[in-house]
Amino acid sequence: MWRQKSVMWMLVRRDLAVKYQSSVLGYVWSLIDPLVQALIYWFIFGVLYHTKTELYGAGYPLFIVSGIFSWMWISAGITESAHALTSQARLITTMRVRREIFPVSKVLARAVEYLVGLPIVVLFAILFHGTFTWRILVGLPLSMAIQGVLLVGIALILSPLNVLFRDVERMTRLIVRILMYTAPIIYPLSRVMESGMPRWLKDVYQLNPLVGIIDIQHGMWIPQLFPKPTVILASAVGSVIIFLIGVWVFRKTESAVLKEL
Amino acid sequence: MGNLVIEAHDLGIQFNKGRRKQRKLREMFIFRGNNRRTPAATTDFWALRHLNFSISHGEAVGLIGSNGTGKSTLLRLIAGVLTPDEGSVVCRGKVAPLLELSAGFSGDLTGRENVQIVAAMHGLSSQQIKSKFDEIVDYAEIGDFIDTPIKHYSSGMKVRLGFAVITQLEHPVLLVDEALAVGDRKFREKCYKTIEGMLAQGRTLVLVSHSDADLKRFCKRGIYLRGGQLITDGPVEDALDTYHDFAKV
Repeated sequence: MWRQKSVMWMLVRRDLAVKYQSSVLGYVWSLIDPLVQALIYWFIFGVLYHTKTELYGAGYPLFIVSGIFSWMWISAGITESAHALTSQARLITTMRVRREIFPVSKVLARAVEYLVGLPIVVLFAILFHGTFTWRILVGLPLSMAIQGVLLVGIALILSPLNVLFRDVERMTRLIVRILMYTAPIIYPLSRVMESGMPRWLKDVYQLNPLVGIIDIQHGMWIPQLFPKPTVILASAVGSVIIFLIGVWVFRKTESAVLKEL
Repeated sequence: MGNLVIEAHDLGIQFNKGRRKQRKLREMFIFRGNNRRTPAATTDFWALRHLNFSISHGEAVGLIGSNGTGKSTLLRLIAGVLTPDEGSVVCRGKVAPLLELSAGFSGDLTGRENVQIVAAMHGLSSQQIKSKFDEIVDYAEIGDFIDTPIKHYSSGMKVRLGFAVITQLEHPVLLVDEALAVGDRKFREKCYKTIEGMLAQGRTLVLVSHSDADLKRFCKRGIYLRGGQLITDGPVEDALDTYHDFAKV
């Protein structure tokens, strides 16, 4: 197992090295990307629509940035893990390592990028009246753990299926876009709860594991937004279920995938 | 002799000739991989079937056969990068696969970075890599180009570097798939010497080759495959004779 761990770490290193090798700004790009997105949303929803009232004194930029950085890990993790196996086919067909490490390493590489971006979030928290409480120390590992389990599960489902059906990759892009707007990233959860949606739809909405993850991210800096334990629990349970499905799918498809590569 | 390193029991693997059909997905989940009730689809064929053999520690075995008879597939099964549909194959001990020498290299990274990454993926620790790094570079005859991105390397340089990494592995089982046919004569001779050296250390070798000379040079035993079946398993000369007799007709 130790050997596999070091292989995984090498894959993460290689992933990051390749990504930032031939660009001048290097890893700064992984900060610019979410910041520009945040800027756009701030302009639309902060300036034009005044999403301020529900934020308990904190600035909308903090709200959006804390959500977006976590979201970047999710979206990049999902889209890149979809072709984790197809893009490394030659390596997989010549080296005997556990095949799971390829999709998992993609998720980890994006996690590293997320961690690197955290100081920016802290900076925004200082500038836009974030509250520094114990919630940061609890929320960060908690949300990262749930998110990691969820993303690994999704990666284990998508990466082998994409080998067998290349449609998966295109479908993923579409789904990621939908997910972005069905999680409280650019709008607070209260907007959904106070909307005219029927009760059951609101419940379904909250079953999405991303709701808990993103709201922990917000709640770390804006205590009033910290989700209820039930929401966190739903998120954790949902993630574990998807993880288990992922393990099962991967095991079932592995032999067919190896032939196809 | 005595202790078996590689054992195959009733080994078989099935491939799909056409494109994978929708129907297959359902089957994949319903049937287990090693299920005997194989779906009777006409597009499926057995690349290998009913293979039984075992290879002892220190043996050098050549796989012989025409193109498309399953030699490389068998090697991949032994290496564990394919899983059998029928029967089993066991390989005890770490495997140094020389299936594709430049596998794992990324063009954008320099030779140095690639060596570090690939060596680590083959299971070398960072101390081992550090201490063996100069040896690898010397062996590959890369020189100053070690800090050049690999995409600018010639194909020969890439292969040399890939082989140089493998030579540093202490894995007891070597699987070689015609990889040595590339490179110029001088380097090939060097590779051969290295492999002979490894064999002298008591490592086990399975070699796929179309060259009689190579097979006779390294191997005492030959396994002749035809149409996915094991035809001859014996001294390499016998296996080659059977192969040539068949090929003539």
